[in-house]
Amino acid sequence: MARTLRPSARRLAALVLCLTAVAPAAAHHSFAMFDTAKRVTLVGTVTAFEWTNPHVYIELDVPGEKGAVKHWSVELGSPSILMQAGWKFSDVKVGDALTAVINPLRNGEAGGLLTQVTLKDGRVLGNGPGRGGAQ
Amino acid sequence: MSLRVAIAVLLLAAASAYGQAPLRTPTLLTPAPIDLSGVWTPYRGGRGADPSLNPPPPGPIVLKPQYAKPYEDRRAAEDAAVKRGEPLATAAVSCVPYGMPRMMAVALYPMEVIQTPRQITIITEAFSEVRRVFLNQPQLPIDEVPPGYYGHSVGRWDGDTLVVDTVGIKESVLSYQMLPHSSQMRITERIRLRTPDMLHDQITIDDPVVLEKPIVYTLAYRRMPNYKMVEFVCENNREYVDEKGAVRMRVREK
Repeated sequence: MARTLRPSARRLAALVLCLTAVAPAAAHHSFAMFDTAKRVTLVGTVTAFEWTNPHVYIELDVPGEKGAVKHWSVELGSPSILMQAGWKFSDVKVGDALTAVINPLRNGEAGGLLTQVTLKDGRVLGNGPGRGGAQ
Repeated sequence: MSLRVAIAVLLLAAASAYGQAPLRTPTLLTPAPIDLSGVWTPYRGGRGADPSLNPPPPGPIVLKPQYAKPYEDRRAAEDAAVKRGEPLATAAVSCVPYGMPRMMAVALYPMEVIQTPRQITIITEAFSEVRRVFLNQPQLPIDEVPPGYYGHSVGRWDGDTLVVDTVGIKESVLSYQMLPHSSQMRITERIRLRTPDMLHDQITIDDPVVLEKPIVYTLAYRRMPNYKMVEFVCENNREYVDEKGAVRMRVREK
């Protein structure tokens, strides 16, 4: 049986959500776990470079002030998105010294989202076109 | 007749039958007015873009009252979780594909359209999702389509516009803007070349159970002439969902 809503109920039912100019796209995950207001610069040595989906990762050993090494996991976009920004799967190798600028995890763990990296050969690459990360 | 002769006769008969096997009944195929084949990537406009090529703004979402409140509450909870830095999990976090209609707009991932006389195949790069649009066939009754991520799609040409009708999307596959939907959801797409290198897909979602009125929005894509689609196998997913339902990233010790 069809039910007719009273005008007031209709108003309550209306959820006008789309005031943006463009229909929003889907995303793999929110990047809210990263603190985008903070930037941490890591200067270290690559222990792994994983050219994988859904994300590429750089594993980095970063020497501290007193010689202690702290390990960081850095999340990048996906191969597809990075390639659109000029990346190649062979741009980073184990043992490379590089500088990564990241938005760190909010929970204090040693991880973050890449914003910019300076490679061994001096090239500076971002994390994909128009985004902080993949998907 | 010896056994050897009998076998020879049988083989000859089989070969003859194979040679004369009827070909598929030829059907008159309406020539496609345009070829949508190629790789396309979501178009977001931006600096220097021709505003006349932008898709029209999306229409409003009007849910039935019994769905509006839970949806509103969930969105509010999601917003609050994001503000806390503890975003709530979605299916995609676990590498579960998007399905229709969300797969048609995933960040800046390209999609490939392969057009043949009887079928148009759409492959999206994110999660390597595949849709098949069967041309010039009647749509199946919804109740006869096994619910899935891509449902059953049929297409026909209306002038220069490809009209695609899709039913049979599984209820657990969230719709546009993470909306719920019923088994009665129907997605109608009107796909056309806005220019030779610009594709518009006007999507209408109708669901008499969940929606007060159909939702209409348009996606735009630009052609990527020399792009080669890349594989996407979700093999190294370090995101996980903690005991509170929040998404976390797994870091390594060394």
